[in-house]
Amino acid sequence: MTTRREFVKGLIISVGGASALSACGDAATIIATATEEGGQFYSSDEMALVSRISDLIIPRTETPGALDANVPGYLDALMSDWASAETQNYHREALKLISGQLDARSGEFLTASEPEAIAALSELDREAFEGGNNLDGYRSFKGYITQSYFATELGATEELKWVAVPGVWDPSVKIATGN
Amino acid sequence: MAEAEFDAIVVGSGMSGGMSAKELCERGLKVLVLERGPEIVPERDYTDLLAPWESDHLDNVSQDEINERYYKQYGGVAYAIKESTKHFWVRDDEHPYEEAEGTSYDWLRGYHTAGRSIMWSRQTYRLGPQDFTANLEEGVGVDWPVRYEDIVPWYEKVETFVGVSGSEEGLDQLPDSVFQPAFELTDAEKSFKQKIEKTFDGRSVIPARIAHLTDATKEQLSLGRSNCQARNRCHHGCTFKAYFSSLNATLPAAKRSGNLTMVHNAIVRGLEYDTSTKRVSGVRVVDAETMEARTYTSRVVFLNASAIASAMILLQSKSESFPKGLANRSDQVGRNLMDHVSSAGVAGIMTGFEDQTVFGRRPSGGIYIPRYANITEKNKPFKRGFGFQGGARPLGNSSGQIAGIGKDFKEAHKRPGPWRFNVLAFGEQLPNPENRVTLHASRKDRWGNPVPVFNVSYGENERIMQREAVKDAQAMMEAAGCINITTSSANLSKPGNRIHEMGTARMGRDPATSVLNGWAQAHDVPNLFVTDGAFMTSSACQNPSLTYMAFSARAANYAADLISEGIF
Repeated sequence: MTTRREFVKGLIISVGGASALSACGDAATIIATATEEGGQFYSSDEMALVSRISDLIIPRTETPGALDANVPGYLDALMSDWASAETQNYHREALKLISGQLDARSGEFLTASEPEAIAALSELDREAFEGGNNLDGYRSFKGYITQSYFATELGATEELKWVAVPGVWDPSVKIATGN
Repeated sequence: MAEAEFDAIVVGSGMSGGMSAKELCERGLKVLVLERGPEIVPERDYTDLLAPWESDHLDNVSQDEINERYYKQYGGVAYAIKESTKHFWVRDDEHPYEEAEGTSYDWLRGYHTAGRSIMWSRQTYRLGPQDFTANLEEGVGVDWPVRYEDIVPWYEKVETFVGVSGSEEGLDQLPDSVFQPAFELTDAEKSFKQKIEKTFDGRSVIPARIAHLTDATKEQLSLGRSNCQARNRCHHGCTFKAYFSSLNATLPAAKRSGNLTMVHNAIVRGLEYDTSTKRVSGVRVVDAETMEARTYTSRVVFLNASAIASAMILLQSKSESFPKGLANRSDQVGRNLMDHVSSAGVAGIMTGFEDQTVFGRRPSGGIYIPRYANITEKNKPFKRGFGFQGGARPLGNSSGQIAGIGKDFKEAHKRPGPWRFNVLAFGEQLPNPENRVTLHASRKDRWGNPVPVFNVSYGENERIMQREAVKDAQAMMEAAGCINITTSSANLSKPGNRIHEMGTARMGRDPATSVLNGWAQAHDVPNLFVTDGAFMTSSACQNPSLTYMAFSARAANYAADLISEGIF
């Protein structure tokens, strides 16, 4: 069985493989450091889980992904400095539940192959959005990941093309289907 | 009596105080503006130029800090209180108030230069002729001593200076302002407009009227103001000075007259009354930081501290002549406290617009549905009426609340997503003397002023009106072809939550039943004017800032006339 450390190495290799992006070295460093040491709030195990899920939900494509934008570090600071004790507990319990659910679906989620991990998370995600279960904590976590990604400079500018000063209001802009 | 230090003292530098000061200064009078909070310096304190990634924690104020310092403010306006804007809101732990048992009240505010004119949502409408006659016709409260025609020239003067974007519609009940070009409606809003106006005879859907420059005049440019850049960073201040605030417009205009003196951190303790002249003779203040006490003198005094704070100042100013508080022989000071009332918002998805999006971030507004209840549609089961604010926009998916992971999920955020239409009613609240603010008998704030006690509840008319407004909104959503129509919790908004508090020193014709005459001049004290929301005899349903400013300009010029005639 692959250990967590080996998983991290593998992730570094896969991230480093996308060499077209200048931020790739940073992403590799971030996840290696984070998972070795944990964060201000997250334990090293939690940081590994948060990093893996963030990467699967918002992967690197032609644009930077959640790890390039250091979403795990952003979430760690959010939980450490913004969240109340009640929110911290809620989030920590949610991560435990998510971890257990993902392990049950994939053997051991953090060492599962990419297709296995994607299958397990996709299934959990689908169930969470169908509702009627105890997966609200996952939806909240996914909201944090997404909002944090788009609040970073990479997410806002490279992915969303955020413009500081639009200058004009155009109420009707046609977009090509599927673009 | 010693020579007064100033011609006029204006208490408060917000929406109405800025306008009072500008008009008085421009008439050549020496004016002192007393502001209870610290100075806001745009270059230092506006945060509109921060990029999203320059704020930590999604720009959220830490939850512990909210619980300790902003428990009332955040509960009322969570959307506006961010880490980068919290300095515009009072700390509840420093500025407490009490609520009578079984009631609750949102007193949402900021103490600093320009007050809430920095944080307002900028919707700007005239009252109509019907709003000044409704009390008389229905036997509610007291009659306004003013009619619409009296205030028209002052609306025009103020609008020309302020800059209001909007469209000419020719509606009797919501008269056109002096406009700069409106923000164009989205295609979904145009479709909604067409279907509503066809289905419901007598209802209109118009672009929201907002105090944003879209074609700045020479006068506005000369004050350093420029056109709106469609950034929607307004709650952070505006470096372009494109939206109206006292700090962006009236205070700079007052300052360039050379007649303005502005003192910050000056908290009013009370007004002094001279029994021989029967006039206000001084304004007693305490310095917020040093606790030093001072008294300033002037020929006339304008209270523009906000409807609640101005009433408190009068109630605090007790004397042998006025044992219930200055200018309060009628016992109406602090009573008839009104706000606007909302209940459920109604939303739905408009299909057919998936192939389009918008460019730019429209500031405030969208559509406005002017009041039709008891105007074009008679015999409603309630008095008065409501207007709807709302609009349609692509929902996007930026909060991540859609299913899916990976590339498809990520790229879904680049697409506009479904178009969501929402509307929310703002209704008129009837004046009720039992809805009031009083001074606590013993509890004082750190500056020695009594804390306010609110006792405000909505009545049957507000409840029935809002029930009908929600039904109307649902019917309009259906007529517009919306799907997935949802209605949020149907409780009435908390009194104060619309942040349009008014009525605590009402105008009227009879000194026995009202505090101010038609010039917003105290019946009992001729050199005292109150031109913030306190003067409002009824609330109408339109957002009131423009009306406060028009009455302030009118009263200021009247006071200047009296001074030039040698009366003061």
